[in-house]
Amino acid sequence: MDGEVLRRLGAALDPGALLTAPEDVRPYECDGLTGHRALPAAVLLPESTEQVAVCVRICHDAGVPYVARGSGTGLSGGALPVAGGVVVCLARMNRVLAVDLDNERVVVQPGVTNAAVTQAVAAAGYYYAPDPSSQQVCSIGGNVAENSGGAHCLKHGFTVNHVVAATFVTANGRVARLGGAVPDAPGYDLLGLVVGSEGTLGIVTEVTLRVLRRPQSVRMILAAFDSIEQAGAAVSRIIAAGVLPAAVEMMDRLTREASEQAVHAGYPDCEALLLVELDGPDVECDAQVESCRGICVDAGAVEIRLARDDAERALMWRGRRAAFAAMGRVSPGYYVQDGVVPRMRLPEVLRGIEALARDYGLRVGNVFHAGDGNLHPLVLYDRGVEGEAARALELAGRILDVCLAAGGSITGEHGVGHDKACYMPRMFSGAALTVMDRVRAAFDPAGLCNPGKLLPTPRLCGEVPGFHRVHPVEAAGLAERW
Amino acid sequence: MVSAAGVREILAGITGDDFVREASAEDAVAGVQPSLVVSPGTEAEVSAVLACASRDGLAVVVRGGGTKLDWGAPPSRCDVLLSTARLDAVVEHEPGDLVCVAQAGLRLDALQAALAPHGQRLALDPGHGVAATLGGIVAAGAWGPLRARYGTARDLVIGARFVLADGTVGYSGGKVVKNVAGYDVAKLLIGSLGTLAVVTELSLRLHPLPRASCTLAVEGLDAAAVASVWRAVEGAAVVVSRAVALWPDGVLLLQVDGTEDGVEAQVSALHATGRLRRLDASDAETAWTQAQAAVWTEGATVAAIGVPRSELAALLDRLGGVAERTLALPSLGIAESRLRPTISEDDLRALRAWTEQRGGHLLLRRPPASLARLAWPQRDDPALDLMRAVKRSLDPTSTLAPGRFLGGI
Repeated sequence: MDGEVLRRLGAALDPGALLTAPEDVRPYECDGLTGHRALPAAVLLPESTEQVAVCVRICHDAGVPYVARGSGTGLSGGALPVAGGVVVCLARMNRVLAVDLDNERVVVQPGVTNAAVTQAVAAAGYYYAPDPSSQQVCSIGGNVAENSGGAHCLKHGFTVNHVVAATFVTANGRVARLGGAVPDAPGYDLLGLVVGSEGTLGIVTEVTLRVLRRPQSVRMILAAFDSIEQAGAAVSRIIAAGVLPAAVEMMDRLTREASEQAVHAGYPDCEALLLVELDGPDVECDAQVESCRGICVDAGAVEIRLARDDAERALMWRGRRAAFAAMGRVSPGYYVQDGVVPRMRLPEVLRGIEALARDYGLRVGNVFHAGDGNLHPLVLYDRGVEGEAARALELAGRILDVCLAAGGSITGEHGVGHDKACYMPRMFSGAALTVMDRVRAAFDPAGLCNPGKLLPTPRLCGEVPGFHRVHPVEAAGLAERW
Repeated sequence: MVSAAGVREILAGITGDDFVREASAEDAVAGVQPSLVVSPGTEAEVSAVLACASRDGLAVVVRGGGTKLDWGAPPSRCDVLLSTARLDAVVEHEPGDLVCVAQAGLRLDALQAALAPHGQRLALDPGHGVAATLGGIVAAGAWGPLRARYGTARDLVIGARFVLADGTVGYSGGKVVKNVAGYDVAKLLIGSLGTLAVVTELSLRLHPLPRASCTLAVEGLDAAAVASVWRAVEGAAVVVSRAVALWPDGVLLLQVDGTEDGVEAQVSALHATGRLRRLDASDAETAWTQAQAAVWTEGATVAAIGVPRSELAALLDRLGGVAERTLALPSLGIAESRLRPTISEDDLRALRAWTEQRGGHLLLRRPPASLARLAWPQRDDPALDLMRAVKRSLDPTSTLAPGRFLGGI
C-alpha cells in the first residue's frame, strides 16, 4: 500500500493504533472460518467514531478496500481481509456508554461483547435477549453485522429486533445516525437493512439496544426419543398447541454421545434428545410445561426430565453447547453446515441428509434449533484419507440444496460472508441479486466496503468453501460456538 | 411521452381491457388526480405495467384498500393508480410452521378469517379502516395495540416479493423465520409508502390465537398516573399483549393472554397495581376497536408522535389544547393523535420542535392541503442522503409516488 496512505492513517489514529508489521497483522488474517486467510497491509485500532470516519475517508479517497472486524468469531469469513487492504478492528471501542432503564435502552460501542450488555443491566433485573453461543466473546458490532440470533431467538427475535439506533460511518466517511432511541424515526428503515448486511454497507460505531425484563420463570424439559421423527413430531405438536417456547433444541445420537463424553451432562441414551425451554409468568410457565410434557409422552418419549433448578438447567444447556467442540472426539475433521428448513419439513430433510451421507460414505451428525428449523449438520471426515475432505465439502453443499428444495435458506445465522457467496444464486434469481447489488451500490458506489462478501462475484465463485478449524479462542476454552 | 389514450391501450394490452379504466375523482391521491387506474392480476403484469410507466415517464401510486392513501405528503405527480385488488390470494399456509405467504392485495380481515380456523393469526391489528390490505399495512408501517407485544410489520414480515419501477422483480427473505441470506430488502419497503417498489407478495410470521384473554381498564388517571400505573404493570409478573393509554380520557387499557389459569393469575397480579375494571369479552373487543377509531375519525388529521417513553406524561400534558384524542403506547412512547382542525401552522411547528428536543419526532398522517408541506420534518443529514441514494438506485426515474416521502423523495 502507498506509504503516504499509511502515514495519513497513522496520523488519524492514536499512537500504536496502526499495525503494519507482518507479525502484528497476521492474527487478523482470518475470522472464525479459519480455512480462508488473507494478509491485510494494515490493521487499524480506532478509538472513536471520528477516527473511524477519518480513516474510512482516507481509504475511500485512495481507493483502498477495508473490512470491519469485531471479535473475529464469525463463521462465514465475513471479516476475512482483502489481501493488501485495511482491517478496521473495533475491539478498542468497547465501552458501555449509557444505561437508561427508564427507557429500556443501553448504548454501547461496537467492541462491547454481547454478554457485557446483559452484565451491565442484570443487577436491575434486565437482560439483552439475543444470545449467540459465542456471546462471551463476540461483539455487538459483529452481532449487528450478522443479525445474530441464538437459541432463544425463536421467541425473542434476532439482533434486528433489539437494535433501535446506530451511529454509522458511511462508505465515504460521513457519520450518519440511523434509527432512533424512539421507535418509528421518519424515513426509510436503513437500520433494518444495515443489521445483517455483513459489514458491506458501512461501519457501525455506536449502537442503542433494547433490553428486556427477565421473565419471572424459566423452565427446561428434556425428552428422549427412539427416533428423530418422533422428536420432530413432538416439536410440531408443541407449536401447533399454541405454545411458543423460548428455545427448542435437538441432538441426534452421534452428537449427543460426543457431547456426553465431553461434559457429562447426564443425557439419557437415545436416538434423539429434545430440550425445550419455556419462560414467562409462573402460572403460565407451569401450564406450558405440563402441556409440553403431555405432548412429548404422546409423541413416544421414552424418558422425560424437568430441570429442578437453574443449575440443572445450565447443565442441560452445557451439554448442548458443547456438542460441536465435542465432535473432535469422534472425528479428526468436521465441516459445520448452517441451513434452514420449514419446521414441518424437518423429518424428510433429515432423511434426505441421511441418504446423502450414505451415498458419500460419510457420517453426518445433527444438532439443530428445531423450533425454527435451523440445522447444523456436522459432516465428519478424515483429512488423512485421500479425497475425503473434498467429498465432505461437496456433501455439505448438497445438504444446502436439500434445504432449498424444502423451501428453506442457505444460512440461518452464520451469514453468507465469503464462504457462501457462491451459493447465493441457488437461492436468489439473477434479478433478485441485481436488486441487492443496487442497494449495495447506493451505500458504497466505489465497492470498497468489505468487497467480495455476501453477493457472488465471478472471481470468488471459482473457489471452494472453507473448512472449519478450531479458533484460538475456542482452543483456549474462552468460547464455544453455535 | 405517449398520449393518454396510447397509455391506456398499452396497459390494456398487459392486463386486458377489463382491468384498465379512466380514473374518477374518487381515485384522487391526497387531492392529486390520476388519469388511469390499472389492476394487474399477476406479478408479471405488475412488472410490465411499471416497466411501461417508467419508460414513458409516468408517475405511479400503488393502492391497496385505499385506507391510507393520504398518508405522507401529496405526490407531486400521479398518472396511474396501480390497484393491488386482484392480487388477493393466500399463496401458502402451513399451520405447523406458523408461517403464511399471501399476496399484497389480500385484506387483513380476509387473512385473519382464513387463519382463525387453525387457531392462528397475524399479530397485527391496525385500525385505519377494514379495507386495509397486507401490502398497504406494510407500506405504511401501520400498527395497532398488539404492537406492545408483537411489534410491527418489521418484526412479522419474513420475506417479500416486489417489483421495482423498471419492472425488475426482486425478492428477499423467504418462508422460514430464521434466515440471514442476503440483504433484507423488505425492511426498506416497510413504511416506504410505496416510493421504492410495489410489494406483490409477503411471507408472514404467525402467532397462535390466545386460548384465553382478559381486558382490563384503569380509569380516571391524570398524565402522571398513566405513566406510573404503566410502570407498576411492567413490574408485575404479567406479559401484556395489548396496552394503550387513551387521552384525554385518562384510561389505560390492558390485555393479558394465555391459558385460563395463567390469565387469572396475571389478572390477580395486575390487581395489585391499582384499581382495575374487568371488561367482559364483547365490551373488550369494542373497547379495542374504539380506541383507535376514536382517533381516526373521517377526514381528521392525525399526528404520529414519538418521544422517549419516560416523557410520556409530559407529552400527554403537552397535547392539551392542540389534540382532541390521543392513543399512546406507554411501552414505547409513541402515539397517534387527532389534531384540532383549527391547529395553526405555528402550533404544529412548536409541537414538532417540542418532540424533537426530546429526541422524538412528529409526522402528519392525512394532512390537509394547508399543512401538507409540514407532513414530514425538515431534515438534512447524511442519513437522508443515503435515503436519496437508495431511491435513486431503485427508482432512478422517480416513477413511484414522487414527492410523497421524507425530504421530497
